Amino acid sequence: MSTPARRRLMRDFKRLQEDPPTGVSGAPTDNNIMIWNAVIFGPHDTPFEDGTFKLTIEFTEEYPNKPPTVRFVSKVFHPNVYADGGICLDILQNRWSPTYDVSAILTSIQSLLSDPNPNSPANSTAAQLYKENRREYEKRVKACVEQSFID
Amino acid sequence: MDTDNDNSLDRTDDFDNGDGKPEKMFTLKKWNAVAMWSWDVECDVCAICRVQVMDACLRCQSDNKRDVLGKQDCVVVWGECNHSFHFCCMSLWVKQNNRCPLCQQEWCVQRMGK
Repeated sequence: MSTPARRRLMRDFKRLQEDPPTGVSGAPTDNNIMIWNAVIFGPHDTPFEDGTFKLTIEFTEEYPNKPPTVRFVSKVFHPNVYADGGICLDILQNRWSPTYDVSAILTSIQSLLSDPNPNSPANSTAAQLYKENRREYEKRVKACVEQSFID
Repeated sequence: MDTDNDNSLDRTDDFDNGDGKPEKMFTLKKWNAVAMWSWDVECDVCAICRVQVMDACLRCQSDNKRDVLGKQDCVVVWGECNHSFHFCCMSLWVKQNNRCPLCQQEWCVQRMGK
């Protein structure tokens, strides 16, 4: 059955393949275009560098009028990532626009890794260390980068 | 471009033909005008469903909606901000947020049509 949401996701997938943004990749799961697996590579010149962070993206039939649920599967130590992998990012909640596609979502999350927002923390330890003890923050991030190779 | 220009250079060795009038160096033999056109819209793809605004939106394509003439009846809507979308796509979005999805300005319809 082809619904508008599914057709739009096919277009998203085509665009992601034809014009792939650097450092991110994603594809629908084998039997369900509404559930995607994605990988974000840690941006250069950040403590996340070299990390391979896996995510799942779950869409509803209301896409693109409603944002998908995006969650890190890999453990990510970051001020705006919850312990369960949930992501606190305005464009995935109240600032969502139906003009976004998978490519835009993944690149936004990638830039969130480089630029955390410690003022709306999802992980208060990470937010506090980011503000007060950058050395320790980077040490904890590097530990999750190494963990990401095994996950 | 016209390449047939063997005779387009009417040049003689002597500029002055003896009657005091200088010989013309060039004669225009052929003039090819080229016109360009595009749809009179700021963005030709609906940013919501990513289909050309002049085609039916994804929803209408899958519902296969047709009007009496058998054509797909899916119109374009322009906002005051000059952004255009399929009316179908936009009417679903404004129900939850009355802002232009591209520029976040408050959405006011400027005109509708094809």
